[in-house]
Parts: sequence; C-alpha cells; structure tokens
Amino acid sequence: MYTELHARSAFSFLEGASLPEELAERCAERGMAAMALLDRDGVYGAPRFYLAAKKISMRAHIGAEVTSAEGWRFPLLVETRAGYQNLCQLITRMKLRARKGEGQVSYEEVGGKAAGLICLTGGKEGPLAHALGRGGVESGTTCVRQLGEIFGRDNVYVELQRHFDRAEEARNHAAVEIARKLGLPLLATNGVCYAQPERREVLDVFTCLRHHRTLETAGRLLGRNSERYLKSPEEMTRLFADLPEAIAHTQLVSARLQFDLQDLGYEFPRYPVPDGKSQAYFLRERTMEGMIHRYGFQNEKARAQIEKELGMIERLGLEGYFLIVWDIIRFCRERNILVQGRGSAANSAVCYALRITAVDPVGMDLLFERFLSEERGEWPDIDLDLPSGDQRESAIQYVYERYGKLGAAMTANVITYRGKSAAREIGKALSFNSETLDRLTSLVSAWEYKSENDTLARHFKDAGLDLQHPQIRKFLELCVQFQDLPRHLGQHSGGMVVCQGQLDSVVPLEPATMPGRVVVQWDKEDCADMGIVKVDLLGLGMMAVLEESLEIIRDNYGEEIDLGRLPADDPVVYETLRRADTVGMFQIESRAQMSCLPRLRPVHFYDIVVQVAIIRPGPIVGKMVNPYLKRRQGREPATCLHPSLEPVLARTLGVPLFQEQLLRMAMIAAGFTGGEAEELRRAMGFKRSEKRMKDIEQKLRRGMEKKGITGEVQDTIVQSITSFALYGFPESHAASFALLAYASAYLKCHYLAAFTAAMLNNQPMGFYSPATLVKDAQRHGLRIRPIDVTCSDWLCKIEKQGEELSVRLGMRYVRGLRAEIAEEIVRERNARAFGSLDDLKLRVPAIRKVELTALAEIGALNFIGGGRGSHRRDALWQVERAARSAGPLLEKYDQEEHVVGEQGAADTTAIVNSPLQQMTPEERLVADFRGTGMTVGPHPMKYHRASMKRQGVLTASELNRLPDGTHVRVAGGVIARQRPGTAKGFVFLSIEDETGIANAIVTPRVFEEHHVTIVHQQFLLIEGQLQHQDNVVSVKVESVEPLSITRAETTSHDFH
Amino acid sequence: MVQAVLRAEDEVRDNVELRADGELLEKTVALVDGTAPLIHVVAANEAAWRAGIQLGMAQTQAQLCGVEIRRRSPGLEKAAHAALLDLGWSMSPRVEDHAEDTILADLAGLNSLFGAEENIAREFARRAAELNLRVRVAVSANLEVAVHAARGFAGITVIPEGEEARYLSGLPVQTLAPSAEALETLERWGIRTCAALGALPMQELSERLGQEGVRLQELARGAHARSLVLAEPPEILEEEMELDDAVGDLEPLAFVLGRLLDQVCARLATRALSAAAIRVRFDLGDAFEKEEQVRGKNPVTVATAAAKTYEKVLNLPVPMRDSKMLLKLLRLQLQADPPPGAIVKITLGADPARPRSTQHGLFVPNSPDPEKLELTVARLAKLVGGANIGSPELTDTHRPGEFRMNKFFAQPNETRARGKAGKKFASGGEAVARRPATGCRIFRPRLAARVELREGRPAKICFRGLYGRVVTASGPWRISGDWWREDAWQQEEWDLEIAFEGGGASVPVNVPGNVHAIGPVPDAKACARAGLYCVYYDGACRSWFVRGTYD
Repeated sequence: MYTELHARSAFSFLEGASLPEELAERCAERGMAAMALLDRDGVYGAPRFYLAAKKISMRAHIGAEVTSAEGWRFPLLVETRAGYQNLCQLITRMKLRARKGEGQVSYEEVGGKAAGLICLTGGKEGPLAHALGRGGVESGTTCVRQLGEIFGRDNVYVELQRHFDRAEEARNHAAVEIARKLGLPLLATNGVCYAQPERREVLDVFTCLRHHRTLETAGRLLGRNSERYLKSPEEMTRLFADLPEAIAHTQLVSARLQFDLQDLGYEFPRYPVPDGKSQAYFLRERTMEGMIHRYGFQNEKARAQIEKELGMIERLGLEGYFLIVWDIIRFCRERNILVQGRGSAANSAVCYALRITAVDPVGMDLLFERFLSEERGEWPDIDLDLPSGDQRESAIQYVYERYGKLGAAMTANVITYRGKSAAREIGKALSFNSETLDRLTSLVSAWEYKSENDTLARHFKDAGLDLQHPQIRKFLELCVQFQDLPRHLGQHSGGMVVCQGQLDSVVPLEPATMPGRVVVQWDKEDCADMGIVKVDLLGLGMMAVLEESLEIIRDNYGEEIDLGRLPADDPVVYETLRRADTVGMFQIESRAQMSCLPRLRPVHFYDIVVQVAIIRPGPIVGKMVNPYLKRRQGREPATCLHPSLEPVLARTLGVPLFQEQLLRMAMIAAGFTGGEAEELRRAMGFKRSEKRMKDIEQKLRRGMEKKGITGEVQDTIVQSITSFALYGFPESHAASFALLAYASAYLKCHYLAAFTAAMLNNQPMGFYSPATLVKDAQRHGLRIRPIDVTCSDWLCKIEKQGEELSVRLGMRYVRGLRAEIAEEIVRERNARAFGSLDDLKLRVPAIRKVELTALAEIGALNFIGGGRGSHRRDALWQVERAARSAGPLLEKYDQEEHVVGEQGAADTTAIVNSPLQQMTPEERLVADFRGTGMTVGPHPMKYHRASMKRQGVLTASELNRLPDGTHVRVAGGVIARQRPGTAKGFVFLSIEDETGIANAIVTPRVFEEHHVTIVHQQFLLIEGQLQHQDNVVSVKVESVEPLSITRAETTSHDFH
Repeated sequence: MVQAVLRAEDEVRDNVELRADGELLEKTVALVDGTAPLIHVVAANEAAWRAGIQLGMAQTQAQLCGVEIRRRSPGLEKAAHAALLDLGWSMSPRVEDHAEDTILADLAGLNSLFGAEENIAREFARRAAELNLRVRVAVSANLEVAVHAARGFAGITVIPEGEEARYLSGLPVQTLAPSAEALETLERWGIRTCAALGALPMQELSERLGQEGVRLQELARGAHARSLVLAEPPEILEEEMELDDAVGDLEPLAFVLGRLLDQVCARLATRALSAAAIRVRFDLGDAFEKEEQVRGKNPVTVATAAAKTYEKVLNLPVPMRDSKMLLKLLRLQLQADPPPGAIVKITLGADPARPRSTQHGLFVPNSPDPEKLELTVARLAKLVGGANIGSPELTDTHRPGEFRMNKFFAQPNETRARGKAGKKFASGGEAVARRPATGCRIFRPRLAARVELREGRPAKICFRGLYGRVVTASGPWRISGDWWREDAWQQEEWDLEIAFEGGGASVPVNVPGNVHAIGPVPDAKACARAGLYCVYYDGACRSWFVRGTYD
C-alpha cells in the first residue's frame, strides 16, 4: 500500500496549487490512510492539513522542503517532537536572518538540527538531482553519503519520482544505482503539487507570477505535463511495478513518523510573581482588589461569581494568562493609553475586576460560559482595543520586550486571492495589456449583494468581451480556481502569541515587513486551533478619537473627563440618539442604524447595547428585528417562546438577540451544560458541517423532550437557535461597543468642537467621509475654519475667539502636501511670521511647486503677511513666480531683493494683487474638493436651491415634515451607497444637501434600470414616494436622474 | 501673404471609408479600434456623442446606444490625409502639412484665378466636397491665426488683416495647444479664453510661464509670426512602366526590371543613398481581363481589377545600390515564387537608406561579402523555398522539435566571440554532464504511423510501407502545453527499438510507399536490421507519428 510522503500545498506560495484541505480530502478519496505535507521553507499549511486530516481520520505527517545555500532543497519529514522543534528552529534561523520570503541553510546548520528528522533525496529540486547534474553518479553518491552522515543512515531514503519524463528517469536509474551501492532504501513519491491534474494550469500561472513572465514567454519554466497530481496507490504501484520495495517503504516510513501537531508542546508563559507567591494567589489578590474597587465590599453576587471564575481559572491553569493580560492593561494605564477589552472577555467578572473590560457582567447578568468553560478545553480569547497608531504600537513593543524576540510574535494574516487580485494576476499571465487588465478587474463586482444575474460572465458580456474567445474563457475558469488560494503571508493587525519556552520550537518565526516585528507562520485561526494562546491588541479608530478628544477638552475647555465616570443617563445624549442624529458616533452612525434608532427610541444604556447588536446579519436573517421593534413600541405582546425561557428573553422582550441568549436557551430548554452550549455555537459557526449540526440538533431535541418541550414550540426554538447562532452578536461584545458608542455620543453632544477635531484627525475611519463630518458639524453650529498656513497645524485644532470655539482644519487635509513640509512651515511660522510668499519659499526651501500650488489653490496662502484683500488667484499668480528658480546667476540677486523687501520695502504685504479674476463660488468649490476633499463653504446644493425650488425639489429637512406616502423630489450629493448582502438586492443611498441627509431606497428593478446613473453619478435628483413611519424618513425611489450642478469631485463612501 | 487652413471636420469624417459612404455622414457613427477581446470606441461624430457614446466605451456598449459602428482603419485615415494634401496642392504649390487633419496653403497669386479670399475658400470647400471631405477653411494673413480659426470656427472664416485678435478673443485657450503643464496653470488662473490670456501683462507672464507663456500670448493676440514649412511631395523613388503587351516570361521581364532598377539606382546615387528594400508591384493583365469579361462595363470592375496585383518585397541585409546585384536577387526571388499571371504594368520602388559604411581591421579575417552571401542565400532559397533557409533557432517550449528560422546573417566577429565562449562552456563540468548520449534525426515532416498496442505498450508498428516489431519500448514520456491557446497539444512519446521485416533499412527516409495495415510479424531471425525510433501519439489528432530515429 502506498502513502504519499512528498506533497506541496498552495502554502508553498506559488509552487503548489491546491489547499491542504483539498489534498487531505483527495487523499482520503483515493484510499490513503496517511500523507505528508512538505511545503517550501515552512509549515504554513500544517494546521489546516492536520485538522482536515483529523476530521477524516487520516494521519497527517508534517515536514518541509528547506532551501539549501546551493539553491536546492532538503525534503525533511518530522519523525518526533524533537524533530519538529528542530525543523521549526532551523526554519526560524534561516528566515530571521534573511529578507522576507528568502533564506537558506548550510549543511552545518542542518547537521545541528537533524535529530528526529528523516531526509529524502528529493525530486528535481532535491540534493541528489542537483549533484547528478553537477557531476554524475559519482557526485550523487557523495551527496547521498553526506546526507547519511548528517541524518544517520537509517534516516535517509533515496527518493524516486516518475512523471513520465526522460531526464527524470535517467536520474532515477542513477538513484537506484546509488541506493544499491550504499545499501540505502528506495522510496517512491510523486512530488505532488496539486490535488487534481486540472490544477496544473493554476500552477503554470503561479510559475509565471513567480518568474515575472507571461504564459507565452515562460517557455520551459512551465510544467512538462500534468503528472504532479495526487495519484492513487494503485496508480503509483503500477508506476513502480519494477521497484515494489520503493512503494513498500512508504508504509514503513509512514509508520515511523509518530509526530503529529497534537503534540506541539506549547506552554503559556508563567507570570513572574513577586516574593515566591503562586500565580493563583497573586491573581486572586489582584482580582479581589479590583472587585472591591468595582463592586465595593458588599456585593455578594459579584463575590460568588468571581469565586466561581477563579476556581475555574485555577482548575484550567490559566492564572498566567490572566496575569499577562492584566500586565498589559497595567502598562497601558500607567502610560495613559486608553484600553478596553472586548469580545467574550466582557462576560467575565474577573476580567471586569482586573479592569481588562469595562462592562459589568454581574450587573448585566452575562453568561460566563461564553467566555470560558471546562468542557471546551480551549484557551480563552481576550481582545484588547487600543487607540490605533503609536499607542497600540507601544503596547505591542512592550510585549516583545517583556517576553523576548523568540518568546512573542505577531500572528500571520494569510492573504488569499480574491476577485480583483486573482483577475489582475491571471490577466497578466495571459498577456492582457494594462488597459484590458483594468477593464477586466473593474468588472469583478465588489458589491456585497450579488443578484442572480451578477455573474462574472454577464459582466464580461456587458463590457463587450467575447466569452467565446478562448483566452477570455480560460481567464474566467482560472479566476474561479484562484479564489481563496494563499497569495502571501501578511501580518495580523494585532494578534500576538507568547510562549513560555522558545516560541520558535512551536512554530517557525519570520521577519515581518515592518521593521522590528516577528510573525509566526500561522494565522490566528490556526493558532487557536493548535491551542496557542493569543492576545489581540487591536487598533480602534474610535479609541484614538476618544483619547484625543479628552486631550483637546483638557487643553481647551479646561475640563478633565473620565470616560469611566460619564453621567449614565444623559438626557441630551438619548434625545440625540432618538432623533438619529448620530453622524460620527461609534457603531450607531450607519444608515441602517439611523433608520432603526427612532423606532427603538433608546432611553437607557441597555437600549444602546441592543441597538449595537440588532443591526447585524444574525437578527436580520433570523427576522428578529421587526418583532423586537414592534414589541418595543407596544404594538405586539412581548410573549416568550416557552415560560421556562422567560428569565433569559425577558430583557429583550421575548426575542432572542444575542448569542448568549441562545446558549442559555439551550441550557434551560435542553439541559445543556455551559460547555455543551458553547460547543453548539461553534458547531453552527462558519466551518459548519452538516453531520455535526444534525447531531447537535438531535441532542437539542432530546434534551427538550426530556423537559417536556415538544411540537411546534420545540421546532421554533430549534429553528431560532440554528438559524441565529452563526451570525449572532455576543451581548458582552455589544456591551463593550455600546460603552464606546455612548462615550462618543456624549462627547459629540457636549464637546462638539473637540470631538469633531479628533474625528478629523483620525480619518479614515467610520461610515462617513471628512466632507460629511464637516457639514454635519456645521449644521450643529460649529464653525469650521479653512486651512491657513499662518495658523493651521498639521492636525486639526481648536481655536477660541471669545467664548466661541471653532475647529481650524489642519494641513493634513491638503492633498499632496508632505507632513514634514507642513511641520517645517509650522516651525518657521512659530519662530517668525512669514512676511511674504517668497519668504515662505526661502525659509521652507524643500517645499515643492505642487505643494505651494495646492496651498494657494485652497486659499491657505491668502493671509500670509496679514494680506487682507488678496484672493486665491493672487496667491496662485505669485506661486508661479516664487516656485520658478531664478537660476544660479540671478539666485543671489533674488535673495537680496527678497531680504530688502522683507526689511521694510514695498514687498512686505504678502500676496501682491494679480491681474487674475477672483475665483467664482463654483471654482472655489472645485478647488476645495480637489485640494482637500471637502469644503468649509456652503454645500454645493445651496448655490442651486432657488432653481431646485422652482423644480419642486425639497430639502432633506423638509422631508421630515411631510406625511407618509407623499410624492416627493429630492436632490443632493451621494455620500454613501450600500447594497447589503441581506437586503435582497435593494440599494440604499444617503443623499446630502445643505440641510441634512436624506435616505433613499432603490428597488432591484429601479437599480437595474438606472444602474450606471446610481453607481457613477455624484449628484442625483430622485423622485419617489416618501416613507415616513415612526419618525424614520426615506424615499422609495421611482426614478433617478443625474444632476449637473458642479464640477467639484465629491466622494461617496460606498460599501461593497 | 494670405494663408488658408483646411481642417477636416472631425475624426470620423477623416476616415475615407466614411467619405466613400456619403449616407453615413448623416448618421450617428462611432469608430472602434483595438484587438479582440477588447474593442473600444476611438472616435465618433457629433450625433454619436449626443447619443451617449463615450471614448473608450466597449463595442457592445456602443451598440446599445444605437449607433452605426465602423472599424477604424489607419490605412484609410492615411489615405484621407493624402487626399487633404492633394486638395491643397491642387490649388497652391506652397502647402504645409500641419497635422493629420490640418494643412496650410499659401494663397499668393490665387486671386487672379479665383478672385477674393472668400471665393478661394469656397473653391477649397467645393473641391473638398467632391472628395467627400467636409472641411473648415480659415483665411488669414497670419498662418497661426488661420490654424486657430480653423480649429475654433466651423465653415469658412476669412479674417481681415488687423482683426486677428478680435476674431480669436472668444476661442478657448486649448485651441492654442499649450503644453499640459501650461494648460493646467492657465486653468487654475481662470484663464479660459484667448482674450483673457492676451490681456495678461507680458513680462509677468513670462516670469511665470517662461517662453511658452510669451508664445501662447502672442498666439492668443494673433501676433505670433512664422513662415510656412513647406511640405515636400514624398520622396518617391519609384519608377513604373506600362507594357504594351502582357509579359508572362521571366526573361523579358528581367530586361524591363533591369532598366527600372538602373533608373532607381541612378536616382539613389544622386542623393548618395542606397536601397534598404526593393518593392515591386506587378499589375496582372489576366486578372483584369477576367474581371472585364465577368462584369462588363460596371465601374466596380475597374476597382476590382486594379486590386489584382502581385507584390514582392526584397529586404536587403545591408543597403545596396548595385543594380546588377539587385536584379539577380530579384530574379531569384521571382523564380522561386513567380507572379500568377501575365504582367501589364510594373512599379518598382526603393526604400532609401544611408549606404553601408564599414571599416575593416587589419587583423580581422575577411568575412563573406554581404552582397554575395545574400545572393547565395537567395539561390538556395530558390532551391529549397524561402521558409526553409536561414539560421534555425530552438524556441523555448516543451513542444518537441519546435524551432524558428531566422534570416541568415554572417557576423564574423560575433561568431568568433561565440566560438571562444563555446570552448569555455565545453570545458565546464555541467556541459559534460549535459552532453547528449545519442543524436536524434528528426523527420520533417513527421511520418504518419500505425501502431498496435499490447497492454498499453506499442507492440507493432508500420510506417512508410515498413512493418516492424517492437523489440523494446521505453516510455511513455508525456508532454503537453499551450493549454491557454486554441492549439493546445499533448503527446505521449515512446522510444522504440524496432525490428523490421525482411531486413529493411534502419533509416527508412528514402523508402517510398504508402502506409499499410500491419501485416504478419516476421520471424525475429528474418529481421536483419533493427533501429531505434522515437514514436509518439498525438492526443490532439489522435494519431501516431514517427518523430525521428536515434543514431
């Protein structure tokens, strides 16, 4: 019986064309009980291969092809755990000293790490083929003998591959001769690169990408044939009928390979506790301190919960993990870095007491088992939100410093081929010119929702491409095959893994592109699957906004705000939320959230928790939104599925909205334990298997029958659990987000200037573009001042004039202006005001003409030298002269002239009058949008209001006063387009005018009809029926036409 | 001096195809260009723009706009340009070839023939209409003004002297064709018309836009003066001769060709030039007559008959001017590939080029004279066919036996250098290792074979009338490729040791005969000789072939 012991997956990056799961599946189909995966210079695909094999009761042998200094590769199979650790260390060593994606090892290095590894002599890329090519049989013999010396004679197998190739067969003859001479065993493999023969085409395209060639020019770099597929034992036995021992040895080797990934030997680091105390004791001390701080001395419920959790933590041996996360939190707090735990950690009272999370799970009665359970045998998952940018980086660096370079690393992020990237790469290989490539890639639809007609084939047809053309047909086929194949390894934004011993013994480490960063070869899912604890240090834009807002408030309002002590039920905040006036607020600003807020009418904090969770695919797909809102408005009785579920569902009016509720439903109705319930959630997760789901459903039904829940009620409960578990939002997570949502709402309502400045300084983030944020702030009475080199900084800031606070836009919004130049301008200006534009040019010599022009065009130079009465064109006129070098002959004269001017001659007024006409409002608008992407002047629609009125076009604010069913016309700039996957092809548009934002709903039919106008036009005139219910106003679009009111390039934030 | 500018109305009408089809001018028409799979709109007429056509739009999208789609033809556009020039020369001897769609003509002296400038302009327009060209005509004393007026105003525009600035004032600055950078600056300044540009202070403008600014302002004011750059009629190094009687034989033809070549070479000599290529076009009398018979006096016949020509191009390895040598080469080429009918007219042209200048080194061995070498190659080409001579070069593909023929050139120095490198290479261990163990003689074309398989392996074979029994078979060797093309291929090769029946030759190339079915296998003893062959099964045509034989 044959076992394949040399296969590459697509994780050999461009050298393999099938996923590890596909290989495992195919292997099982072909009746093989085991298989070995040897990816190039890594074990990237090993976890996925191992898990896929485990599912089908197949043995997954691990190994790698390690690149030698001479360019060929050692095919190494892992025999024992020591061998695995050696392999990981060997790869880490070669990777860390080389550039990303490169690296090689010497014989000596391999010699030092050979224990527990079996070496094959390889195929075309192996050591034997290389030696034979260099010096024939003699050289080949020396090479194999050398391998025997390094790995031990028992651990070297002379490998034979047969791909129906003459040169390879000649090598095989030599290999057999050498094996006989040295008394070494032969081993047949197929050097597999793909699961099925058809995938050879993908591999050929990969080869082109690797060598930067096209299929037409790649020549003999491409495969000779399609024989590197996973062959069945029968095929391989036939192929090696003359050498049966080569087949027989595969079984023997497979039997020798005892290691599998279950046996990683990973250990989480122990926290260094002082004075010889135990970790458990130290954790208990810290937790109890925190409990008193959070709950006081009298809260027995909290004490009991904490005791229960600590007990479980101790039983599971997780004290070190909690202490390490607590340590990171402590570090952040000491440095005034805002930090907040999110996700299921918010279900833990211990986390709350340790100040890891900010949500009180006892007060909110959250389900601890969602976070941690004894049955699951998994590490808990704690995600920490930090302000994006430098502060998150400092937390990451702290972890590196604390646990050492080989003790901590970032998790990888496997970048896979998606629609556009695949189309581009394949197009290149097929020699499409850049114009065709652009056209083809633009055809790959990016909307979330795809209608039945929304196929690639249809897009191609629409774009005038001939589907009968062989290349286009092939292009389409390849695009489909490329989906989800790994492209390269990136770095996860915040996932860190730490290890007690050497992390490089558990998984190979690599340098990341970012200097100073080390990344493991597995992504966070793989790490979790392999039982490696990770801590996610995630950058959250809103955290940065909140932190910056607090700073600005401190500096400009003279107030110290503690986010932990904000007034809980601020009426202004709730009134604002009920009006859906939420642009810029965390998680509740989207169009869908806005249309829900007036119906939900939040009054308390928990309403915000619900609000955050309700506009999610889970409740929408599970059809929970409308029942909940109706009950909330008292239009429907708040009945419960079953009386026993009342305690669980009461606070959401009988409608399950959160994942925890589903788990509790399973626990109450079917008698599941906490761990079993969590198991249920995972079974319904993204990688759901039909069989596993069926088993769980039966278990649910059996449990419910025992409790006397039968018939329709049972069906309904099962239905709601199974349909909802996949997309449901955890209550704890929603509560953490709701805290941030409330904080952002509070700051926006009470400190608008500070909040707006902070929002503008942390773009891009959120749902709306800066232009919309500015207009919204202006509508709320905030004055936004334009960019001006005499007073703007790089960032936006607050200016005070008397009691009035305004926001001065920062130079970061000047397109094409480099940060260092802006900072130099500020430095020079603070030292001495600029006397003139020439003065600026002289003192900031690195400034380029395009930068000066950009500043002049947006009016940022109008006030140089206190130049009143000058306008943008005056500055532009002068910039052209200032930026034109006088040449070496006249340069000195020019400077002298300037100095004279500066010292009091006629040139002291900054910008001289030019013969040019002042810009018209339309020209200013165009310049503003071109130069900054926004305008602080009137909204473009305002200039056309009179003519709009004549055409019967209403403003966005006027719509609010009209009754439901009115036929209306409304016009404005599109600021957001959405076609959500859950909306059956409906498109939602947000249209802004000078009075606010109007929402429009486009039916699939209208969208089909006006597709180009809706997708490509910046300003639209919409006609349709007003829907005004429960204070939610939108227009159901009947017709759309483009509106030509400005040439300004406004932008829309489209969600595809 | 008064100048007139003629400018074709728009890109679509610039196309001769459309000029030929008068009705199309009234329709909405878009021109498309590009290669499949991407064909897109490159030009359209006004009506088509109004119908929603956009530049770069795909052909199928354009069709949805309900416009007439025509394929762009660079050849026809060139012809339209030539027609425009002809129009100019038909009126004035002094013409400037200003752009693809614009010419300038000097009107000096035309008043006595046609009267006032307006009449001359009308005459231009009338003659253009006869050619199915719609043109804008602008007349001005300043030729740049005339150019810009033709760009800016439709129909006929006559600008009186001194009124230039007034006429140009309303035109957009783009009319002056400024550089992209200058145009961007002017746009930022809000300078959109010639009047606005003309009004800027000149010195300050020059400080900002440099010499280009000054020039543009002069253009805008109608004050930029330059003289006409006369277009010369193309360098026609072409001679033609109509024959009284159609000539069908090569000998009398060679006599005529010799005369023509003498004339062309003499003309080349006067200009100190040589010929890089000789182009000969023969008008064939037979074809003409046949068409006449079929179609009678139908005017289409003339055009069709005129198209019945036969052309030959003699590309030369080095520029030559030796008419005798050229005649020999031409004769050899015509002998190898003679015209299909009797010839009634010969047009012979030469592509002029600078003569070859070489300096021989004292110690550099003499290489063959390129002219003589070319002659030898031409003689060989006559014998074996043009496609079968040259320097073969293996192509980079797995497809067995693929090669291309490069034109043969003797490059003595390079050859020597390569020789040295070759020696060096041969001394390397790698070269030794890669030296083939045996040679393989490839049959070209391949030999069809019939093969009988036993347990999936060739057992008997028959090709070119030879029957053989497979003694040993090594294989299969599978190769496939070009899967992304229509001519994807896959082959399964076998190396066979074949014992032939009746002691046939081991190399059966010269054995004539057809392929027969496999007959009874002869006794092994009867097989006097055996051979090693490379045989393959072609998956694309599902047949067996013999590729070659091993030494």
